[in-house]
Amino acid sequence: MKLLAKYNRVNLITTIVVMLITGIIYYQAISWILTSQNDKDLVVEEQEVFDYVKLNHQLPQTFQSDDQQITFTAAQPGSVKREFINTIYFKKVEEEDKHRRHHHQEYEAGRGLVSSVMVGNRYYKILIVESKVETEDLIQLIFTITICVILLLLVTLVVTNRLILNRIWQPFYSIMRELRGFNIADTKEIPQVDTTTDEFKELNRTVIDMAARAKLDYKDLKIFTENASHELLTPIAVINSKLDTLIQTENFSPQQSKLLNDLYGAVSRLNRLNQSLLLLVKIENRLLHEQQQINLKELTEEMIGQFEEIFQDKDIRLTYNLNDKAIYASHYLLEILLSNLINNAIRHNYRSGSINITLTAQSLIIQNTGESAPLVQEKIFTRFHKSSKSEGSGLGLTICRQICENFNYTLHYSYQDSYHTFTITF
Amino acid sequence: MIKKVLKILIIEDEEGLRESIEEYFTEDGNICETAHNYQVALSKVNLYRYDCILLDITMPDGNGMDLLKIIKENNYPDGVLIISAKNSLDDRLDGLNLGADDYLVKPFHLSELKARVTAIIRRKTFGGSNQLVFNEITIDLLSKEVRVGKQLIKFTRKEYALLLYFLANKGKVVSKNAIAEHLWGDGIDMANNFDFIYSHIKNIRKKLMEAGCQDYIQAAYGMGYKFVD
Repeated sequence: MKLLAKYNRVNLITTIVVMLITGIIYYQAISWILTSQNDKDLVVEEQEVFDYVKLNHQLPQTFQSDDQQITFTAAQPGSVKREFINTIYFKKVEEEDKHRRHHHQEYEAGRGLVSSVMVGNRYYKILIVESKVETEDLIQLIFTITICVILLLLVTLVVTNRLILNRIWQPFYSIMRELRGFNIADTKEIPQVDTTTDEFKELNRTVIDMAARAKLDYKDLKIFTENASHELLTPIAVINSKLDTLIQTENFSPQQSKLLNDLYGAVSRLNRLNQSLLLLVKIENRLLHEQQQINLKELTEEMIGQFEEIFQDKDIRLTYNLNDKAIYASHYLLEILLSNLINNAIRHNYRSGSINITLTAQSLIIQNTGESAPLVQEKIFTRFHKSSKSEGSGLGLTICRQICENFNYTLHYSYQDSYHTFTITF
Repeated sequence: MIKKVLKILIIEDEEGLRESIEEYFTEDGNICETAHNYQVALSKVNLYRYDCILLDITMPDGNGMDLLKIIKENNYPDGVLIISAKNSLDDRLDGLNLGADDYLVKPFHLSELKARVTAIIRRKTFGGSNQLVFNEITIDLLSKEVRVGKQLIKFTRKEYALLLYFLANKGKVVSKNAIAEHLWGDGIDMANNFDFIYSHIKNIRKKLMEAGCQDYIQAAYGMGYKFVD
């Protein structure tokens, strides 16, 4: 949920709750004030009755009024308790019709005072009722106005919040955009965001610092990998040359020559591993820029030709269907990409297996038979992940993926109809 | 073929590598001089002429590229083969643009180095005439035709490359690893399966012997092959 929406929701709920509570209090207060006004009137009326009785020793005459009625009823002495009550006020309304005039009654809310008076030795119950209709009208009016004000206030609040907050948060969103586009490997810096808000200035500064630090660390790491690999090259070169010299000396026993062969193998693996690491660093640093127009069909055919003997040796059936596809990329990297993928397709194949290569304008698909279980897509592209039997460096597919990313292609693995399938989508 | 004594200068600061190269080249009766740093190399380059200079780019007291510039500015005719740990196209192009004859990336097999040096010297000395003669074998380096006596032998591209490689490393044991890397490049991982090398060698021997050529190629203790006179 967006901050603005969240803020608005909280804001709205609290405003409504507070408004409701104050509304109720307001209503109660006004209602109480007006009722006590009513009560005062009633008491005045009662006093008038008492005064009249005192003076005249008889009950006053009841008269009709629009908003007040007094009734006297005989009662048992002492049975009436003086109290204010909420009651109903019967209002007689005269209506004029075309034909005749008629009376009927309307009910209205009323406030009454029950009291008693002794006239001579007779005991009377007095009921004074006053219509509350005006009071109610007043309350209703006040309430309506209040509600309208509240609604107006809420609408203004939401609208201004939306306008102002959107504007205020703009720097935040632009920092976010920068962060999303942040790539640790490229040289682009996160720009200074134009804002006067302290919090965003702070955030911007922190983000810039963090990005710079991350880039520096990353660069250090790359430099270390590159230096380490470079330093390894010399001893490998020495071992290699010493082995080359050693085999010139005569008379090796079969055991010795096997040992020497194993050494050669190990050195060449070490060398390949080292070269792969160096290559990865270079691709990740985008140090290999030389790009050119390449006919992928021709290049693929060339690569297939390179592997000819190996296909024959493993008795692998190769079927390929190549369409013309021109791409703009580094020849060197594409060769590595293709050679790694074909190499894998051969290495993880069984004798007399098959390999299909399909090149269309959209994709290059390399399929091979092999182990009858799918590989784990997430794992196979990570560094140094390899099957236990593999003699490879464990970097081949990582390099492939890096190369693809470098040219904005996607490299995808799937397992279809017992074929391990690698798809490069251009 | 008249055996020519080659004069080679090895500029390399890594002692182990320098010694191996020296040993490999002197066994053939060539004359090798060595330089372990820029200053020594500079004075030797200015004093003597060599058939080929093996030039390491990174030296403790200087850059091999500067040395290459000096050689070219003075129009010294020496062939220059850069041996470098840097395997980037830029470095390679820089070296070749400055006038180096070839560029070899460390680590390399000595047989590969020998083949490259031989090729450089061949280009330098024979000029336009590109005939390579070994006993009854004659190779036309331009048309890439191999003849035994008068008879033309049809070799595949890889077989032809392999034959040249052997000729450059006559009398040396060439390891299967070196052959594989020479023929397929180090991009292709053979996973130590060198059966295809065997079949290539078998084919070369068969084709040569069918044309009446002597069998020069010997297997060497299962580690490699040797082309002997």
